Amino acid sequence: MDGIQLEILWSNLISIVSEQAKALQRIAFSPIVREAGDLASGLFDARGRMVAQANTGTPGHINSLASAGLTLAKLFEGKLGPGDIVITNDPWMSAGHFFDITVLCPIFWHTQLIGFIGSTIHHTDIGGYGIGAGARDIHEEGLWIPPSKLYEAGEPNALLHDFIRHNVRTPDHVFGDLAAQVSSGRAGGERLIALCQREGLQNIEHLSDEIIARSENATRQAIRALPAGTWHGESRFDVPGGSIIELKAAVTIDNVAGDITIDFAGSSGASPLGINVVMNYTHAYSTFAIRSCLNPELPNNHGSLAPIKVTAPKGSIVNAAYPSPLNARHVVGMFVPMPILKALHQVIPDRVLAEGSGAVWTVQIQGKRATGDAFTSSMFNYSGGMGARLTKPGPSATCYPTGVAAVPVEILEAAMPIVFDRRALRPGSGGKGRSRGGDGQIIEFHMHTQYPWLLNAVPSRLDRGPEGLDGGEPGASGRFLVNGKPFSEARKITMEPGDVVLLETPGGGGYGAA
Amino acid sequence: MTYSLAVDIGGTFTDVVLRSSTGALTTDKTLTTHHDLLEGFFRGVDQVLGKAGIAPRDIDGVVVHATTIVTNALIERKGLTTALITTKGFGDVLSIRHEHRYEMYDPQIEFAEPLIPRDLTFEIDERILADGSVLRAVDAAEIEALAKVLQAKGVVSAAICLINGFRNPANEQVVAAILRKAAPGLYLSLSSSVAPQIREYPRASTTAINAYTTPITEPYLRALAVRLAKLDVPNKPLIMLSSGGIIGAEVAGRFPVRMIESGPAAGALAATWYAERLGLDRLLSFDMGGTTAKACLIEDRKPLIASSFEVDRIYRFREGSGMPLTIPSIDMIEIGAGGGSIASVDNLGLLKVGPRSAGSQPGPACYGQGGMEPTVTDADLALGLLDADNFLGGDMRLDRPAAEAAIRRLGDALGTDLAQTAAGIYRVVAETMAAAARTHATDRGVDHRGLPLLAFGGAGPVHACAVGALLESTAVIFPPNASVLSAFGTLVTSVRFDMVRSAPGKLDALDWSDVDRLLTGMTEEGMEALAEAGCGPKTVSLIFGADLRYLGQQNEVTVTFDRDPRAGRDAGMIKRIFEAAYLAQYGVNPSHVPVEIVSWRLTVRGPGIAVGNLETPSGRWGEPKATRPILLWPEAGPASVYDRSSLAAGQVVAGPAIIEERETTIVLPPEWDATVNSIGCVIAKRRV
Repeated sequence: MDGIQLEILWSNLISIVSEQAKALQRIAFSPIVREAGDLASGLFDARGRMVAQANTGTPGHINSLASAGLTLAKLFEGKLGPGDIVITNDPWMSAGHFFDITVLCPIFWHTQLIGFIGSTIHHTDIGGYGIGAGARDIHEEGLWIPPSKLYEAGEPNALLHDFIRHNVRTPDHVFGDLAAQVSSGRAGGERLIALCQREGLQNIEHLSDEIIARSENATRQAIRALPAGTWHGESRFDVPGGSIIELKAAVTIDNVAGDITIDFAGSSGASPLGINVVMNYTHAYSTFAIRSCLNPELPNNHGSLAPIKVTAPKGSIVNAAYPSPLNARHVVGMFVPMPILKALHQVIPDRVLAEGSGAVWTVQIQGKRATGDAFTSSMFNYSGGMGARLTKPGPSATCYPTGVAAVPVEILEAAMPIVFDRRALRPGSGGKGRSRGGDGQIIEFHMHTQYPWLLNAVPSRLDRGPEGLDGGEPGASGRFLVNGKPFSEARKITMEPGDVVLLETPGGGGYGAA
Repeated sequence: MTYSLAVDIGGTFTDVVLRSSTGALTTDKTLTTHHDLLEGFFRGVDQVLGKAGIAPRDIDGVVVHATTIVTNALIERKGLTTALITTKGFGDVLSIRHEHRYEMYDPQIEFAEPLIPRDLTFEIDERILADGSVLRAVDAAEIEALAKVLQAKGVVSAAICLINGFRNPANEQVVAAILRKAAPGLYLSLSSSVAPQIREYPRASTTAINAYTTPITEPYLRALAVRLAKLDVPNKPLIMLSSGGIIGAEVAGRFPVRMIESGPAAGALAATWYAERLGLDRLLSFDMGGTTAKACLIEDRKPLIASSFEVDRIYRFREGSGMPLTIPSIDMIEIGAGGGSIASVDNLGLLKVGPRSAGSQPGPACYGQGGMEPTVTDADLALGLLDADNFLGGDMRLDRPAAEAAIRRLGDALGTDLAQTAAGIYRVVAETMAAAARTHATDRGVDHRGLPLLAFGGAGPVHACAVGALLESTAVIFPPNASVLSAFGTLVTSVRFDMVRSAPGKLDALDWSDVDRLLTGMTEEGMEALAEAGCGPKTVSLIFGADLRYLGQQNEVTVTFDRDPRAGRDAGMIKRIFEAAYLAQYGVNPSHVPVEIVSWRLTVRGPGIAVGNLETPSGRWGEPKATRPILLWPEAGPASVYDRSSLAAGQVVAGPAIIEERETTIVLPPEWDATVNSIGCVIAKRRV
């Protein structure tokens, strides 16, 4: 296939899934999907290999969808017919906690299975404990949907629908979002068939081989340009409740085969809190870290991910085993790139960045309005500073590795009786250095209420700030204060009407001695 | 005989159109004079009046102006010293942005510096709550002291954007009143009047942009009015807005932020006018120029309106990399592919076109100004679609060997010959446009299939049929006077002003007296603006609308009501209209979820426009002036080449054919036929 024909077909595949991701993001009820783009959409060949993926979404979803497609295609091999649709929220098969539901729509053309359109989105509710890290085991965290058929020959699986309806708090939202996933999958399938018709293709097997082979070769070529060896990096941070987590990564570059292996041996063991990370999610953030430094311009697919291998000791915090709780796995997952970047710093210092605040801080509030009506806010989040780069400062109030937007103060104030006293940059919190780390921010609020209220806040890095690189100074650690007193609590806190909450998110690490 | 005049100042050209009440058009194109935009304005006007043989005092209809002055001021950052005044605790609002990192995979990402730096941002101790109540009133002494600081720092213009100021303008108005007294001559922009919508960052950004550009725009518009009056032009100038509205120069001078991208908006209005004339309910306007292409969806004979957009995107046209604006605007997509876009081979061996552009300097290889890389225009020339001796009517000779050499070098890297490579560039461009249009349509809940295209801009007609084939368009339409279509669009549009105000609340608990107060205030503002533009109260119609969503959602759906929603105080009617609109866009309605209103909208519109007769003479069918081989379709034989001006109404041209105009070329592929209709549109359809 020449570079012109391949470009046309390949860009069409990417545009099919990007369109479906846009449709999903627009329809979704889940606020985090709409505002933060917390979703992934991918196109798979008949063997379940991801061929194209939407240019949106978060790393945790994007790359874990790739392995979900492979697993589900294998599991249902020979068992699918036209009109069937597969669903699961199994954390080990897809994105690491129950909230993320993956829906895979097989595409049949002339009775032949030619591929799948899959999507993962973060749903508003999945029953159980709800948002936060407080469940004691995975069963407290909600409904576990094993791989099953949501639709069979075009008909909804009534029993499964009923199961879901009885086990979530907001069935309208969950089914609204599932309907969006199903309709975007079907629409994507129609677009793929139209493409095949227009371009005279019987199926996409040859095309997918070509895309995967070229992507894999290009990634291996990029790795071959690096020096061989093993480099080490580690990152140490504290999580809600005060426990310290250590992640150690050994990054081995084989510049003959052109592959990279990341081993997390020596990292912390499982946590009793719901912050444990399944292998899929660790793999997703590891490959993200490597690819964004190595060859970010290359589209993500089975081939471009293939040369990167990730291993971690079974039962460690980055390879969680049943029945560890997983709900708030992003709290640790978003730190997964940090030790890898530190190792890569020794190889490609101009393409990495220093440690940043890591996970976004999330907050959720429950209480009563002046009328006595109860409310539960949606989850809202704040970033700290990003780490500095070799020749550029780290951006302030911006998150890495995710890049989620924050909900505006005015939207929150309109939705519940909250009053923000301050939302400002935290001057001087970015680590000093030749390039400075980005500043964190200061958020101060109280509730305009006469009733007690519940605060569910998930801060991190309260113990020490993100480290600098190459002699750069660390960023300031975060501070979480209630009525002026430091606080660290992993579970929901009961608050009094006049209480004032102050969040100071961490600054990013500096780069190079000042 | 009545004459109306339109002047559209774009980045490269200033277009002038004079229309008489018989419908006759006189047009001119002159280079934009960036050092003094009015110089080009009046040169173009002079030329057009000369051609028509009339004097300035004969322009007794409207004078409408669209200009790029505001966009230029922003992109070049050449505004005067501007300050931002915010609520205590929120002075970093422009630096914190949405917090969003718009490009996930680039750890070396950068963000544009805030338009107003931190040391010119001032916090004041006041607070309005979400329900509009005043928690802390403004302290007059604090503002008087601030006035001194502003003067000492040489501040010329100030934006005032206070938390929840959209809900209750009282504190912003008090600040403004004190500053007017204590610092006379200071330009002031209040968020409660520039962009009274919820969400503090986009509102602050919009107000800051308004404040930054007012000191440039206001004197410019004043000078324009003075010079027109000196020439004895009877009426005051009207200004085109990005919403597709037209308003008096004084109102526009207070809200320059509403003038951004008004030229392209006028192009979409022209497309809308053609949709009406051709009896088409929907179409996609497709304007492809030198560096970018712009597209706009027209649904139900109205362009889609966006409630926000971005200016000055600093990263590959990437959403999120520009400054947000929340004002009503015609919803356009900008695609980073135009005639000057450079074709290259990436490290996977794939042919890529854009987003890098050769611009006008050095320009495509065929311009002979030192450009070595092959561009879209070079491919068009090498394929035989363009005539090297007839570009811009022969005023600019193109170097075909240079174009071919550049494309051959690219072909060597791809392993393809000249024809394959050039055809590849042509195909990839069409795919890029089609993909962008599809994604845009999907994002708006619109089915793109079958949408007719209306093509204009220098490169649009060359590529439109290829794009139309990919979008399964039922027809591709090439309007007459395509090179001055935006200026034409300003002359077929009524005077109009669009307003939005946020007042969030549950629909089933609406406070109708609050709604009444809000809509009455908006009506007064609108009537005043239209009166200034010469529309008497009896000629003005009101169109009410609202932005609604299901409780818990973050994006709103905009709906229009067919009457004043206060009549009967019927929240059920509003809910029914919202649910129907939601169903049409998303295909499902969640049951049991309450509906929330976020903002009210009001459009005030002056009387309709009589355009007159634009008939093209029927008569003898024009003959081809030549034939030439086209490398895109070797098997179809040489294409007939026509001069567009020789075509008569009713004439049918069979593809493959090339129809040349001075500023552009229509490419009609094999298997397509084109018909010239009675108003001069060339309408191409695929043979069935």
